[in-house]
Amino acid sequence: MSLKYQSQKIAEYFYTFAVVLFLVQVVVGIIAALQFIWPGFFILNFNTVRTLHINAMVVWLLVGMMGATYYVVPEESETELWGLPLAKFQFWATVVAVTAVILGYIWMGINPQANSPIMGMTPLNEGREYIEAPRWADALIVVSVLLFLFVNFMTMLKTKKWTGIQGTLLGGLLVLALMYLPGMFYTKSMVKDQFWWWWVVHLWVEGAWEVIAGALLAFMLMKVVGAKREVVEKWMYIEVGFVMFTGILGTGHHYYWIGTPSYWLWVGGIFSSLEPVPLLFMVWDAFRTTRDARNVENRAGLYYTVAHAIFNFVGAGLWGVIHTLPQINKWTHGTQITTAHGHLAFYGAYVLLVLSMIYITLPAIRGVKAFNASRAFQSFWWMTISMVFIVLTITGAGMVQVYMERLMGLDYVAVKANYNLWFWVLRAIFGVGFLIGVGIFVVDFFKLGKEPAPAVAAVSDR
Amino acid sequence: MTNKAARNLFIFGSLFFFAIFLGLTYDTMGKLDKRAPEITEQVNAGKMVWHKYDCIGCHTIFGNGSYFAPDLTKTTVNKPKGYLKQFLMDPKSANPNASMPKLGIKPDEADNIITFLEWTSKVDTNNWPPKPILATAGGVAGRELTEGQRLYQSLGCSACHTINGIGGTTGPDLTTVGAKRDRVWLAGHFKEPKAFVPESPMPKVEAPDADIEKLTDYMLSLK
Repeated sequence: MSLKYQSQKIAEYFYTFAVVLFLVQVVVGIIAALQFIWPGFFILNFNTVRTLHINAMVVWLLVGMMGATYYVVPEESETELWGLPLAKFQFWATVVAVTAVILGYIWMGINPQANSPIMGMTPLNEGREYIEAPRWADALIVVSVLLFLFVNFMTMLKTKKWTGIQGTLLGGLLVLALMYLPGMFYTKSMVKDQFWWWWVVHLWVEGAWEVIAGALLAFMLMKVVGAKREVVEKWMYIEVGFVMFTGILGTGHHYYWIGTPSYWLWVGGIFSSLEPVPLLFMVWDAFRTTRDARNVENRAGLYYTVAHAIFNFVGAGLWGVIHTLPQINKWTHGTQITTAHGHLAFYGAYVLLVLSMIYITLPAIRGVKAFNASRAFQSFWWMTISMVFIVLTITGAGMVQVYMERLMGLDYVAVKANYNLWFWVLRAIFGVGFLIGVGIFVVDFFKLGKEPAPAVAAVSDR
Repeated sequence: MTNKAARNLFIFGSLFFFAIFLGLTYDTMGKLDKRAPEITEQVNAGKMVWHKYDCIGCHTIFGNGSYFAPDLTKTTVNKPKGYLKQFLMDPKSANPNASMPKLGIKPDEADNIITFLEWTSKVDTNNWPPKPILATAGGVAGRELTEGQRLYQSLGCSACHTINGIGGTTGPDLTTVGAKRDRVWLAGHFKEPKAFVPESPMPKVEAPDADIEKLTDYMLSLK
């Protein structure tokens, strides 16, 4: 695959920022893991470290998807990007805003009083999980996403080639932008606060983001193994369709215990237990499409793509469905079981998605046909094996916690500090393994295409 | 199925389910205020304090949050207010083993956040968190309890104190308290904790002298 339009190179700006934030996310993640063992381990308290961990994640995945979109849209529209300077401005404005927000978190972590409300709003940290960014930053994020949507929409309008992939991608991004709005107003009731908060969090990761993932998966299958557009797009519609049919009402699985009416136990239980189905379609789709592929130029890209489909199903699907029924969730809600699900779901569904897009599009951006994929495989195995064990240790911790705290009635702190201690130690060790994988990936990202080409260009004998 | 049919299924199917979701949201919004106590100015002020110190960065509330520290939905049901206030302002003075850092929470902020947590404790959460099966069963299994043991349960001592691994960790462990303290200390401390431990956040045990005596007997039996 070679680069068709020069403006697609803008994707690399976004990828670079995403990769840097990925490294930040994992380093602070290890600090957080150590604080489970020694709570006073770092100058910043756990709440600040964790805010950095999850915010870096949301931002780098989002920025990575933006980069991928800037690559996909010109290719699908068969034209240069409309308003490249505007896209570059959007990139730098995003970097500045994100940096300011991060510095604000750190400042608030050192001096909590700096977050005292001004005109009824906390200026540095909104104190709401995942959407900690203060209101002024919310406004900047909305402007950034609108600019981004505008540039892509105008590009599509230039040639009016409404391919299914870019239509679905745009649709997913539009829903993503709209679903940020329910998190942008204050409610006096903590129940309503959490109700609208889930609109943002759930309808992002189990709605809009999965739609974007479905569209990008279709694009990648076409590019890597040369699958036929008609077939790929049809399955994409079915997959993202079922994501929405199950995911929208599946939001109900967050409305069991927060003060909302009990009919949500039925709505959430039924629809969220169906949520793994479309993810299984995606696995089947990825296998079916790639099974007979020979002479694949970009084996690393293929690897990451198929792994994304598999771990999306395992992490988001299986690890979610095990505790989604209200009869079980009553006991597991708010325990480490949720943490385990969160880690594998984000890794499988979105980390591997963005990394696949990087491995598929970056060689073209850097102007090379083939590249040495050994580091790509090394980092894949370091990260994947480590993440699987991180998730297994947290799942173990969650099972112990559910049994001892929820069923036996032992104190939360006793379980965490005594009975789960070894799980925290193991988790931190596997966290270091994950960091090694990320380190190899970061090196690979910066070196890819800049070294002498490998002796054997395409692997054709396997 | 043609591509066009698949696309229409995706678009109109999604809109259909979103319409249902909007309808349920409308219905829910009309019911939420009846499922919770009135939100006074102080409850709201407490919620702002909750946001200001990013409490959700460690704790959960209604089970949502960070899983690093205890869920606070029902915390005011079991813990005395005086203890909570002292803990919020200076955690280690109330419980030397506390991991929570001193954040600089002011006295009025502590009062407000306790009022906020009293509000959350009264929200109808469809009976979450559930009562622990085994601990509940332990209290009603028909075992012959001594008067002191019964008082220990009915006065709610186990919300903060642990005996043989069961109970709270915010107060000292009492598993071997009988080996460390004598009758005078224990009985006096129940009536006036601060006279024996100046910084103690423990509330006075409001019970007749006879009951204090039985509770003391029970404590002395723990060796």
